[in-house]
Amino acid sequence: MGELRGSADDPEHRDQSDQPDRPGRADQPDRADQPERHQPPVPDAEAGQVRVELRSRIEYAADLEQRSVSGWEPRPFRSFGTDRQSGASAEPLEPVRRFEPGRAGLPDPGDAVTYLDARQPGRPWLAAARGRPPEVQRLFAALDQGGGHAHIRHEGWVTEEMNRCRAARLEDPAQLDPAKRAAGIDGLRSPEKLHRCWEISSRITDPDAFAAAFARGIEHPMVRAALETEFTARRVPRPVSLNLSDLLGPDGHRCCTGWRLQPVEGSIKTARDNRAAYLDAHAHGRDPDVPEPNARPIGTFAAGTMIFAFGPTRARDGYEVVTMYPRPLKDEQQGDRP
Amino acid sequence: MSAFYWERHPDGPFSTLIGVTATYCSPDAYDGAYEDLVSRARSPQADDDEMRVFKAELRRALADPSLLPAGELDDAVEYNDGSDEKFLRRLWHDLYGDEPMAGS
Repeated sequence: MGELRGSADDPEHRDQSDQPDRPGRADQPDRADQPERHQPPVPDAEAGQVRVELRSRIEYAADLEQRSVSGWEPRPFRSFGTDRQSGASAEPLEPVRRFEPGRAGLPDPGDAVTYLDARQPGRPWLAAARGRPPEVQRLFAALDQGGGHAHIRHEGWVTEEMNRCRAARLEDPAQLDPAKRAAGIDGLRSPEKLHRCWEISSRITDPDAFAAAFARGIEHPMVRAALETEFTARRVPRPVSLNLSDLLGPDGHRCCTGWRLQPVEGSIKTARDNRAAYLDAHAHGRDPDVPEPNARPIGTFAAGTMIFAFGPTRARDGYEVVTMYPRPLKDEQQGDRP
Repeated sequence: MSAFYWERHPDGPFSTLIGVTATYCSPDAYDGAYEDLVSRARSPQADDDEMRVFKAELRRALADPSLLPAGELDDAVEYNDGSDEKFLRRLWHDLYGDEPMAGS
């Protein structure tokens, strides 16, 4: 993994060691001659001036592309509550505090911190919840004991690059084996199957916002009706869509990002066919005879919806949310115009 | 605005067909959903009105796929079969085997 300095906030601070031909400013000494390179660091001063970039170059590029297209800023969800003009609740985590796992068909997680500590090594998506308020950690721990994958594929641990690769090449963020991920093998289905994904892949970028959307969503009458449907084997309630703004406030769409498969010759169906052909060729060791699939950031989730889909609980005695994710307006799903 | 056809048009044509296929055949469907749909179709319970309507709408759509609301089935399922008709033919075969599509 390459290490960069700076951030998407300040990309010009990137480490330039990989650009040996880049000229220095005439009024500055050559970079190799800068005396401070040979001085011992001053920790306090460095901490205030330099941010160590832990993303790979590819991850960095995907973040930058997302920001340039959609204007996404990784702003904490809770800061929206203090924005007087947003109209959002001043207590955006209040529904999370009220969250009762049993009402979502989930077991009580007990001590969430203990659960997250014990499971995170093998379940890296739980890292997103670490350091969050106790009620958010509790919700994540409860979700992780269910059969749903919302917190695995549609939450903040998924990077922009992971989402881009999912939309373009069906690489499943839940698949922890890199070779299987590259081959498009689903990380959760058993027995192993190829991963499926819509022509868009989206996420809620802030774990607090994710928790608030889930907690508020399961209180909505349409979701309650689905979850409280009397259990009958092999019957499942239909998916439900709710307004994003009803769950996250009028600025909630700013916590959502996504990538969309790009049309080929003006057709999204052709793009999906090409994506399948491209992956099939790779799986069988052939050179693809179609162009590499491409994905681009979704422009906005404003006026979008949150999708809730359902399935039987692990015990097959009720229903739970198997996934929850933001979906943009239909016009935003169509990809760049050819 | 609702994302789903059956929410926007609860009494619209093929609402049950599109809703059921979205529930069991889309990328959002739970692991094992398609197998559950096959079992449900092959062993319908007496009170399973939804599957009776589903089967009737599936027959009607196969008889004349142009009656389906444009783009809605693909939006709901994102099949890889190439067309509504090819997807529905595969679905009928998986669910009802060799039973004639143009039944009563």
